[in-house]
Amino acid sequence: MTPSLSELQRRMVGALRHDGALATHPGWNQFALEHVSGNERLSPTEQLEIYREQFWLRHTGSLVEDFPGLSGILGQADWEKLAEHYLRAVTPDSYTLRDLGSRLPELIEGASWLPHQALCLDMARLELAYIEVFDARDTPPLAPERLAAIPEAAFAEARLVIAPSVRLLELRYPVADLRRRLRAESDEPVAIPDESPLQLVVYRRELGLWDMPVSPVAFTFLSGLAAGKNLGAAAETAASTAEAESELGQNIGAWLGEWTTKGLVCDVLVD
Amino acid sequence: MAISQAMKPDLGVGVGLRVPHYAAILRERPSVDFFEIISENFMVEGGKPLYHLERVLEHYRVVQHGVSLGIAGPDEPDRAYLTRLKQLARRTKTPWVSDHFCWSGAGGAHLHDLLPIPYTPEAVRRTVERARMIQDFLEVPFALENTSSYLTYRSSTLSEWEFISEIAERADIGLLFDVNNVYVSAFNHGFDAETFVRSVPHSRIWQIHLAGHTNLGKYIIDTHRGSVIEEVLALYRQTIALTGAVSTLIEWDDEIPELPVLLAEAERARRARDEGLALREGRTLPPAAALATPITAGEKSVWKQGGPRESAASEVSG
Repeated sequence: MTPSLSELQRRMVGALRHDGALATHPGWNQFALEHVSGNERLSPTEQLEIYREQFWLRHTGSLVEDFPGLSGILGQADWEKLAEHYLRAVTPDSYTLRDLGSRLPELIEGASWLPHQALCLDMARLELAYIEVFDARDTPPLAPERLAAIPEAAFAEARLVIAPSVRLLELRYPVADLRRRLRAESDEPVAIPDESPLQLVVYRRELGLWDMPVSPVAFTFLSGLAAGKNLGAAAETAASTAEAESELGQNIGAWLGEWTTKGLVCDVLVD
Repeated sequence: MAISQAMKPDLGVGVGLRVPHYAAILRERPSVDFFEIISENFMVEGGKPLYHLERVLEHYRVVQHGVSLGIAGPDEPDRAYLTRLKQLARRTKTPWVSDHFCWSGAGGAHLHDLLPIPYTPEAVRRTVERARMIQDFLEVPFALENTSSYLTYRSSTLSEWEFISEIAERADIGLLFDVNNVYVSAFNHGFDAETFVRSVPHSRIWQIHLAGHTNLGKYIIDTHRGSVIEEVLALYRQTIALTGAVSTLIEWDDEIPELPVLLAEAERARRARDEGLALREGRTLPPAAALATPITAGEKSVWKQGGPRESAASEVSG
């Protein structure tokens, strides 16, 4: 019985996502013979195989373009294994290839076979942050005078709006620096860094992508603001110890000034 | 008056707007009749892609061409996608929006490919219904492009030219006529390219695409690599002789050359277009068609619509 158009297409998606040559798979070979015409130069299976091969070339190629640091850590063989594992496990479901790697960190978390798994996870999270920040919504930077104009009595209740082009990452490895070294196109071998936890802010300024390490206290404070807490509540969370309270008290003005100048803050809401 | 019946402007000869050329275009502002953008590359919230688009729009006419609609797939068109497409069309003031006669996935999976449709009445009905809906939704004339294909289905009962003609007429949409795709598919499936060119409704051809391709011997891949071959230009002249002056675009998406090389290719197309118009007006005789194809050794090639995305990969300052 001839399948409906939709049924034919659903089955064909299965063939094109198959992770091996169709000719060696009796089921897909039979599918091709039933539905694809072929010609004097190419068999039905060979015709279908052209599209299957393109699926894998296109998607693995897109992942390596978007995750150069991750592929740099793994090297060709392990990178290919990871990319193929990912494409088997995760259905591409966005109209744009820009979103293809959005679940890569999630997959890496479960990939215990992966060499340098924790380092890879950090790199994938960083590179995903770059992708998201790159074309996030534009927001005009907040004029510093607006911050200065908050009445003292209203300061604790004021909410700073963090720009959509900001991502906050807690990392175990200094992967931003590693990525820069990997991309430097030097012939020198790149050493795998030691574990060295850090808090990193990825942001966009004047269309360029930047990353900036901050202290754990600053990071907690900024995370609170990003979560929608007012200044008082965010500061309270960050000042979890006497030491942290002291650091916050000494630096809060400078931090807010720097973050505003760098475009991390895009609005201030005062009740 | 229906959207599709409005007069379609002849924009001249343009080129695809591609990332490696942004700096030269904004710095030198070369003479280009129009640019075509890949819609999806600019359906983003902000950042560099929209910044560059705005700068280009300040100086050039832009038309939108999409690669992800997958109009003939089993899933209904994605409303969120169409809404973003419409927002972009308002930004660019494109005279028409185009995509492909194809499908791209099923059951939520998106394969990012222009998959061939079985040429059947069922597929015609589905595509007509959706093309009408999309044109109404976008409130901009809508056109579909014939694709290069590498397989045919046993279930097809129509020729490709019958299929696309019937859809264009019944849905009242335009054709983006890719002459290179006609040539590629004619080679791959053994039909006569000139019959294809003669058989489509010429008044519905709003835009033409020209591109290079890669001949792997047993089949040709539409790589958009290299110059347009003479045989395709000959087919283009014949097309123009039948359509009159139609906006024409050079696509070059793989091994993208420096901008002057691309612009020279556009000038080559312009000369061919003038020759086609001279044929139409009876000022010259048609040359003998030469559709023999030189065989070139090919490596593995990926067909890429629209060249590289502008992406975060090469950015980052610390």
